[in-house]
Amino acid sequence: MDQGTKKRTAIQIGLLGSLLFGIWMIASDRYQYLPWVYEDVIKIGVFSDSYWEVQNGYSYQILDDAIAQFEEQHPDVRVEYVSGIMKEDYSEWLAGEMMKGTGPDVFFVLSEYFNDFAEAGILKDLTSFIEEDADFSSEKYYASAYEDGAYEGTQYALPYECAPKLMFINKSILTAEGIAMPDSNWTWEDFYRICQAVTKDTDGDGTINQFGTVGYTWEDAFDSNGVCLFDEKGTECYLTDSKVTAAISFMERMEELNSGYSVSRKEFALGNVAFQPMLFSEYRAYKSYPLSIKKYAGFEWDCLTMPAGPDGENISRLDTLSIAMNASSVHTADAWELMKYLTGDVGIQSEIFDYSEGVSVLKEVVESEQTQKFLTEYTENKNMLNLQILSKAVEQAVVIPHFHDYEDAISEVDKAIRVILEGNSNLNMETIIQNRNINNYLKSKQ
Amino acid sequence: MRKMNHRQLPAFALSIMKSLNLMIILYLTGITMHSLSGYIHEGSALYFVMKVKHIPVEPWKMPVLSIGMFLCLLLLFSIPCKHNIQLLCKAAVELSVAFVISLSLNFSYTGIVLLIIADTMSYFSNMKQRILLVASICMVYLLLDYDLLSVRYPIISIEDCWGYYNSHVQSVLLGIRNILDSLNTLVFIIYAIVLILTEMQEKERVLGLNEKLHMANEELREANLKLEEYARESEKAAETRERNRLAREIHDTLGHSLTGIITGIDACVMLMDIAPEATKEQLKAIADVARQGVKDVRRSVKALRPDTLETMDLKSALIQLLEETKRSTSVQIDYQIQAKLKDFNKDEEDIIYRIIQESITNAIRHGKAKKIWVQIEREYNILKIHVKDNGTGCSHIQKGFGLHHMKERLDMLNGTLSYHGEDGFTVDARIPIRWGTEGEND
Repeated sequence: MDQGTKKRTAIQIGLLGSLLFGIWMIASDRYQYLPWVYEDVIKIGVFSDSYWEVQNGYSYQILDDAIAQFEEQHPDVRVEYVSGIMKEDYSEWLAGEMMKGTGPDVFFVLSEYFNDFAEAGILKDLTSFIEEDADFSSEKYYASAYEDGAYEGTQYALPYECAPKLMFINKSILTAEGIAMPDSNWTWEDFYRICQAVTKDTDGDGTINQFGTVGYTWEDAFDSNGVCLFDEKGTECYLTDSKVTAAISFMERMEELNSGYSVSRKEFALGNVAFQPMLFSEYRAYKSYPLSIKKYAGFEWDCLTMPAGPDGENISRLDTLSIAMNASSVHTADAWELMKYLTGDVGIQSEIFDYSEGVSVLKEVVESEQTQKFLTEYTENKNMLNLQILSKAVEQAVVIPHFHDYEDAISEVDKAIRVILEGNSNLNMETIIQNRNINNYLKSKQ
Repeated sequence: MRKMNHRQLPAFALSIMKSLNLMIILYLTGITMHSLSGYIHEGSALYFVMKVKHIPVEPWKMPVLSIGMFLCLLLLFSIPCKHNIQLLCKAAVELSVAFVISLSLNFSYTGIVLLIIADTMSYFSNMKQRILLVASICMVYLLLDYDLLSVRYPIISIEDCWGYYNSHVQSVLLGIRNILDSLNTLVFIIYAIVLILTEMQEKERVLGLNEKLHMANEELREANLKLEEYARESEKAAETRERNRLAREIHDTLGHSLTGIITGIDACVMLMDIAPEATKEQLKAIADVARQGVKDVRRSVKALRPDTLETMDLKSALIQLLEETKRSTSVQIDYQIQAKLKDFNKDEEDIIYRIIQESITNAIRHGKAKKIWVQIEREYNILKIHVKDNGTGCSHIQKGFGLHHMKERLDMLNGTLSYHGEDGFTVDARIPIRWGTEGEND
């Protein structure tokens, strides 16, 4: 090889190297660290209305306070958010921004999309931050709320606010029927007994017009009977468990009470149903003055923990609003600090009781005297829903497993339970058959 | 096309393949970019993400990355390779680049690998190596399959990406992609065929040339044989001629004399008793004839014998001359030859030889000398010949035939001759040496 060719080859290899380097910079998003591209701005993805579907006019209050305080503590960082995105458009907006590569660094995740987003790789794995940050402690969060941010055993989000499911009770019906209010340790049998007593034809037209319960699902029954439906990775279903069969038997018995009449949710608002499971946030929203007139005006009502099954407790599942980090964020350190601040700062979390309808995810905040005082203002009957009950309901709440195609798996189970409930064959036989079907389905999804 | 040399055809096919691949990349990235942007603008980004369970690369990045990587590939093609190891490394790098390109195209197109195979094929003349390398690249090509890779890696299929369009448009777009893909495969096949054909033609041409060379060699060998035969014949002819000459010489000289002698002797036999005196006269005449015959024979022999100078160099010839004279005449000759006597031409050698021969003959014949001194030496670029004897010498030097001849010859070489007859006879000759001055001066 002569000198000229050697030189030419060297130039070609140099050119190739620099081209590959440039492509790598672009492909790995490292070009964003370049001084003339880098912007020290953290963007937050947030929706304008309340997560709990209640318009309270304070949608950005907590966030604005948090940003002001955070920027004060971190003078070199600016935090921005796009306002005016409605909750129903929020996930679409977020997906669009992610596809464009302009997604926010930190964003709220609606629980219904958490699985999909985690699976799509939108959410940053927080394990390394959690392990390396000495200031961070997962202990201060309610374990159930915290674990809600995990997908297949990996933490992808931190909880921001939550709400446990509670049982709404039409006190007027109970009073009219002469039934005493159950206490917070009530069981399925108490629940069944009351439902049986109230289900009747009050106007004498031949059809039942007063019902025991509406919206009580097999999931509620499973949760309160300690059922663990899937393993952590979603590879196996435990439909043949005795707790499951007990819950299904209970559901069968409950359905028989209505004699085939399907009850709509509207009936509860009309005052014709004794029980309806609802979120704590709804209790907060409609218990306060102006909204309580709009809904449930014609009767007295209150709420209680869910009835416990023979093998379970008075618990339900938790609806959690979490905060996650963009997997392709270039401000990970600052974003992590901001996430920690929004979810873990006592001052900010206390504001949830002021400006939102959920429950703080910090035990310290929920069990504080300030919160106690706050709740008392809402509750007429101080024995009904005290702080311990609330804290217990949150703390012991059932953690919904997050795995690949969880929603599909649940709809399969739902279908299976529908078949079992509607069929007349042997319950144990039917669960075995359905369990096999679901396991086959799960296997096909792996 | 018509003007193109058939040997340029593979390169032409290769460049078509390169352009075609660039076109395919542009087409795929363009459509995908438009489709993804469409999802976002239409408000079905969430639907898309939920469906494919993956966030595709940002729409603008896709063409930038794939075309950037394609440029890398073209650059790689242009880097020359000498050794197999280099080529192997290059092929590996090219394959990685092709993998990244295919990845950025969501493995909707893997024909890039064919381009690499085509480029790699052009390097090898060894069929075995070529088949080995191409086969291994083909393996990679087969493994670069969407369905296979999507099991391991989160890849969005092109059908999902293009789901933004309605099914009719989508099938047309996919159809165009398939046509382009097939076109690429077709060009590749044509390339391979053309390459192999061209090589076969080349091989044939080389074989033809070899054949011609072989034939020329054969002819040359035959010619050589003929020549040898001719040389042998010609030698034989020379021998025959020489024999004829000898026979003629013998016949002319000895035959003639002997015939005369026989005739004379026959006459003497007849005359001896009648006229003894006449017989005597006759015998004398016969003796003369015999002497003349001997003379003729000598002359013939001398003419036949090759000159000493012809067979040996000057120095050896001189030494032989002096030694022979010493032996045949009992004259004492002292000689010293201190100069190298090589590199003289034929004339010069001849003249030097004759001068010494003549001087010695003169000393013996005219000076009746008993001792002769001969000295030949070199002084710068002059060859000096000095011949002296202890003979009678002569006070008045008559310019005899020999000295005159010597002078004449030396003049031809720009040499000089001097001689004197006191205290024996001395001859001094000086001859300028023409063959350069770089010689020794000892």
